[in-house]
Amino acid sequence: MSLEKKLRNIGISAHIDSGKTTLSERILLYSNKIHAIHEVRGKDGVGATMDSMELEKERGITIASAATNVQWKGTPINLIDTPGHVDFTVEVERALRVLDGAVLVLCSVGGVQSQSITVDRQLKRYNVPRLAFINKCDRTGANPYKVKEQLVDKLGLNAVLAQIPIGLEDKHLGVVDLVKMRAVYFEGDDGLIVEERDIPAELKTEAQAKREELLDALSMISDELAELFLAEKEIPEKLINAALRKGVIAREIVPVFMGSAYKNKGVQTLLDAVVNYLPAPEDVENFVLDLDDNEKEIPLKSDPAAPPVLLAFKLEDGQYGQLTYIRIYQGSIKKGDELYNTRTRKKFKVGRLIRMHSNNMEDISDADCGDIVALFGIDCVSGDTFTRPGLNYSLTSMYVPEPVISLSIEAVDKKSSDNMSKALNRFSREDPTFRSYVDDESNQTIIQGMGELHLDVYVERMKREYKAIVKTGMPQVAYREAISKKADFDYTHKKQSGGSGQYGKIVGYIEPLSAEGLYEFVNEIKGGKIPTEYIPACDKGFKTAVKKGTLLGFPIVGVKVTITDGQSHSVDSSDMAFQLAAIGAFRQAYAKAGPEILEPVMKVTVEGPSEFQGNVFGSLNQRRGVIVSSVEDGNNSQVEAEVPLSEMFGYSTALRSLTQGKAEFTMEFLKYGRVPKSIAEELIRNYQEKK
Amino acid sequence: MVKSELIQRSPLRILEKSINGGLGKGNIAFVASKKGVGKTACLVHIATDKLIRERNVIHVSFAKRTDHIIRWYEDIFNEIAKKRNLENPLAIHDEIIRNRVIMNFNQRNIDISQILKSLDAMIVGGNFKADAVIIDGFEIEQMSLEGLKKIKEFAQKLNLEVWVSASLKKNDLTFDENGLPYELADLLDAIDVLITLKYDEQNIRMDIAKDRDDGAFHDRHLFLDPKTLLIIDSEF
Repeated sequence: MSLEKKLRNIGISAHIDSGKTTLSERILLYSNKIHAIHEVRGKDGVGATMDSMELEKERGITIASAATNVQWKGTPINLIDTPGHVDFTVEVERALRVLDGAVLVLCSVGGVQSQSITVDRQLKRYNVPRLAFINKCDRTGANPYKVKEQLVDKLGLNAVLAQIPIGLEDKHLGVVDLVKMRAVYFEGDDGLIVEERDIPAELKTEAQAKREELLDALSMISDELAELFLAEKEIPEKLINAALRKGVIAREIVPVFMGSAYKNKGVQTLLDAVVNYLPAPEDVENFVLDLDDNEKEIPLKSDPAAPPVLLAFKLEDGQYGQLTYIRIYQGSIKKGDELYNTRTRKKFKVGRLIRMHSNNMEDISDADCGDIVALFGIDCVSGDTFTRPGLNYSLTSMYVPEPVISLSIEAVDKKSSDNMSKALNRFSREDPTFRSYVDDESNQTIIQGMGELHLDVYVERMKREYKAIVKTGMPQVAYREAISKKADFDYTHKKQSGGSGQYGKIVGYIEPLSAEGLYEFVNEIKGGKIPTEYIPACDKGFKTAVKKGTLLGFPIVGVKVTITDGQSHSVDSSDMAFQLAAIGAFRQAYAKAGPEILEPVMKVTVEGPSEFQGNVFGSLNQRRGVIVSSVEDGNNSQVEAEVPLSEMFGYSTALRSLTQGKAEFTMEFLKYGRVPKSIAEELIRNYQEKK
Repeated sequence: MVKSELIQRSPLRILEKSINGGLGKGNIAFVASKKGVGKTACLVHIATDKLIRERNVIHVSFAKRTDHIIRWYEDIFNEIAKKRNLENPLAIHDEIIRNRVIMNFNQRNIDISQILKSLDAMIVGGNFKADAVIIDGFEIEQMSLEGLKKIKEFAQKLNLEVWVSASLKKNDLTFDENGLPYELADLLDAIDVLITLKYDEQNIRMDIAKDRDDGAFHDRHLFLDPKTLLIIDSEF
């Protein structure tokens, strides 16, 4: 077995508060990299190692994904810590891109919650094989069996128990391994001593029954195993492990492990499972796009001798400069190698090569394909592809949603202002969903992102990491404008004020695009009424016009422009004249085309005890929400609704007070929807007044 | 076809006529058949017809997930829109979603009072003025006359109509000589309108087995199209 066959790149994906950071911390401990355990919200103020940013420590959540290298029984594992909150999904998705496998962590009490569903959907999108780990089996109300059922029912996964618990709640002592049919206990300080014993008598029947279920599921994957199972013969452990590995990599089965990271139970057995069942880099097929060959997909080879193909997936501003995390998809790199950034078309030399352990780093001289390492001082943005000079490859662009919310910010003094620019520059390189620009009209700096919390975190980071104190304005929703019907235009642009004049006449119509398109331009002019050389100028003029609608000044989407006729002048017509004619023509037709305002509508999921249902329904209804469904499961209920983003400001506070803090919600962008007439009128009035 | 015409020409107008102008607020209707004949499709069509007429509907289900119920609505709506060549289907579709709420109950052996409590939370607490409640998939063994009376009381208090599906389990002797299912005998008193679905050669026949105080009333004008499971009148 070669070295890279042994490597694992894994992520830990989870609902917030399901104990993901604690689990990461324990993994680091057991792999002998750190020697003390600090609780996430510990009193000693040291905080968990994976949460490298101060802010995360304070909030008890993990914001940025740091890649950490650990060793488990001789297998190197790159652990990518993914943030759990939906507002940071791009960070999650970027981390997922470079993973070969994931551990889906669930709370044994809370089970599959709305965020687990989001996280699982992301894992599905990137075809990431996964194991499930049911954490917090020591908590009151722990029921891993129920959570396993939820994995099947709610996530549609073929989940099977690979372990059963030995005791639950305060009697949780360890697990029964259903493959080996042994009881596993975790003893000594920090549970460092793993002991295998016979299965306790009272659990024997249960263990046998669950093992049958496991084997039954595996017999669908391995014919060899199926034969032995049907013949009721002894099935060797090796064969079970091979079938599990095959099923996990093919994403046909999700084995379920359990324990309590906090109480040091089940973490080592989970690590064994990671090594045994999750794929090595070469078990996963990856593709690159050849930019010289019409973006043709080329499979990548897990061969250290092949030309290098690397993805920069994460940038971090450390004490010593910019750190770029890369995943090597093909080939290998060493210090002093020359690489080529296919986006900027610039060559650069590999300087320091680093392997990261959360905040400590280790200098290395080379790295092979499959590995995740970091480079120092490279000028790039996240998502860039690096190759050998001469190759023009790009790894598929990562899905980046458009920002839905914006906020004006203003530095309080000169020093803050300088620091603010530095910070903004950094953040927009790190996070493709975070953008900033200076508004031409108001001269204000505007930041854009995926949600209130997303922007809040960056404002906080500016303060903490960059000492930039900023005042923020009211969050502003990113509206769009659209037309609702077809309208004609017949417009002549004419100017004669001495010297050469300007002349251009355009006739045609605009109509709504049926699909989700943004803009389309069709030229139906016959007989050269507008000479071919001016057609691109018309297109350009229309493109300029749709950038800013007249209702609210937001971009116009979903317009198809068709030009059918026109006129030119042999002397006075020019590119400029036709551009201006197109802008005029568009404005003329736009007013007649039933212009409307569209607003971002979010998919909101609220979860909480059923007793507060009425309040939750009421709060969503009040916010112009459409309740799509409500699901009751015992005392817990989950409400799914579509609510305009503009109505969601301050919802977390409102929800907390309506439900005594017992309900929580998540939201993500769903679609753009029409703004009701009365509200649209008010928005337009406000906009006109401001102008 | 524009919306108003679609509403007028809906086969459900014939159903309404057959049951003397419709079910009416405060009343309970049952749609009963064996498993897999088309109860859900039939109820979803009835609900969709109300939604198109801008009434608010709550659909109560007992499935594991809600997405396949939503898919039922999508399918039935698409079939109607296609068959009648409906104008501006997207806008009408948006409106329908706004007027519909799906409430799903996952727990086993749920009690009628719990369902009514949640409905009350939606209608009163959530300010969702429902005109009709569809209850699909409730086990009839667990339905008692007393429970049904509670539903009726609730329907009267909140001024809405209730449509319930009943899955008939017994294989032989499902219906008595009046076309009434044996399994519902104990509940008949509280059922205002009872519609049964049966296979009839090529089609699925809808019979009105009970209409308030009138007994059997076999006005056979309605069928379910076995392909689309839409309600159709016999002339088709």
